Amino acid sequence: MTETTPPKHDVIIIGAGPAALSAAVYTTREDIDTLLFERGVPGGLAAVTDWVDNYPGFPEGVAGLDLAANFQKQAERFGAVIELGEVLKIHDEGEWKRLETTSGDMLARAVLIATGSDYKKIGVPGEAEYYARGVHYCATCDGAFYRDKRLVVVGGGNSAVQEAMFLTRYASHIDLLVRSTIKASDVLQHELQKFIDDGKITVRLNTSTDEIIGENNTVVKVMGTQDGQKVTFPTDGVFVFVGLKPNSEFLEGSGIELDHIHLVKSDENLQTTMKGVFVAGDIRSGATMQIASAAGEGATAALKIREYLEGREHPVQN
Amino acid sequence: MVKNITIFTTTTCAYCPMVKKYLGAKGLAYDEVNLDQNPERQQEALALSGALTVPVTVVTKHDDSQEVIVGYNLSRLAPAVA
Repeated sequence: MTETTPPKHDVIIIGAGPAALSAAVYTTREDIDTLLFERGVPGGLAAVTDWVDNYPGFPEGVAGLDLAANFQKQAERFGAVIELGEVLKIHDEGEWKRLETTSGDMLARAVLIATGSDYKKIGVPGEAEYYARGVHYCATCDGAFYRDKRLVVVGGGNSAVQEAMFLTRYASHIDLLVRSTIKASDVLQHELQKFIDDGKITVRLNTSTDEIIGENNTVVKVMGTQDGQKVTFPTDGVFVFVGLKPNSEFLEGSGIELDHIHLVKSDENLQTTMKGVFVAGDIRSGATMQIASAAGEGATAALKIREYLEGREHPVQN
Repeated sequence: MVKNITIFTTTTCAYCPMVKKYLGAKGLAYDEVNLDQNPERQQEALALSGALTVPVTVVTKHDDSQEVIVGYNLSRLAPAVA
């Protein structure tokens, strides 16, 4: 009985966020057969970001959703195909890499890992129990349900501050719970001050989030500790923006080396410790976690992949 | 057989266009309820889905049975509209 050969591609890109789609623009323009695999939404975190002010070429800023849609449109214009599904494992079979996916096995001569990251959870009681029914991680998705309601936003970085400001278009008031001090950029902190002065947002520094409490199936308050004292914040909902978690679990045991925080290591060619497998964007160790740099890394990785496919040697550097 | 598909959406939701794109690619018509424009229907979406989120896709069959899919979940959406 003949074994069916899995589908073969020149390049399989794992992910369809800014790094992946930027790489796909380059590879497909050069007629390199390219398939992208995405398990969530094309555009990645950019797609669920309310407004992007720091991506070059948009003097007034751009809606994250629009930016992501344009990334996708441009890649598809040159022939990129995005398959919705998940890559579960990568195996090195020499000239070919075998990918186990939710659509079956596939083979690729080169692979680009561009899986990015997802929003972290706080890890407190009540968080999982009330997920999507009072606890949320996407302001643009779920903010509309909190018109004229009170909200708690947890986090002190750029995402927390930006999304808290976005949520003021719905919420009557927001308590921003910051574990220590605000780490958001000066530009965002300057913008935030207007909302503080208007009374729409109250910043609670040195405040940990300890528990999310509900009654009758809805969230009613958040318990925290501020400067050593127990505090309570009545609320109708909680939005969590406490950092990013790399999407690298599927690489455990693959032989592709990760750093101590589970980001993928690479050399100056953006090649991982598996020959023919490259990495770009937020999932790469040393990345700067910006849409602009992810797009740049995607383009760089695509050029390195082209060199690799042309037979220009890229020995793995351990 | 599908009698009606209704999608509850918001203007800024990234997953909502994906559901619409999928249904469009399948040649399936749907009614859209934008909850930014129709906030009075939020309770309806919540009652159907049990979740304060969008997209919520309600597939009504010809026998009037309903299947409710929360989020962009092709593994449930695809068989529901088949």
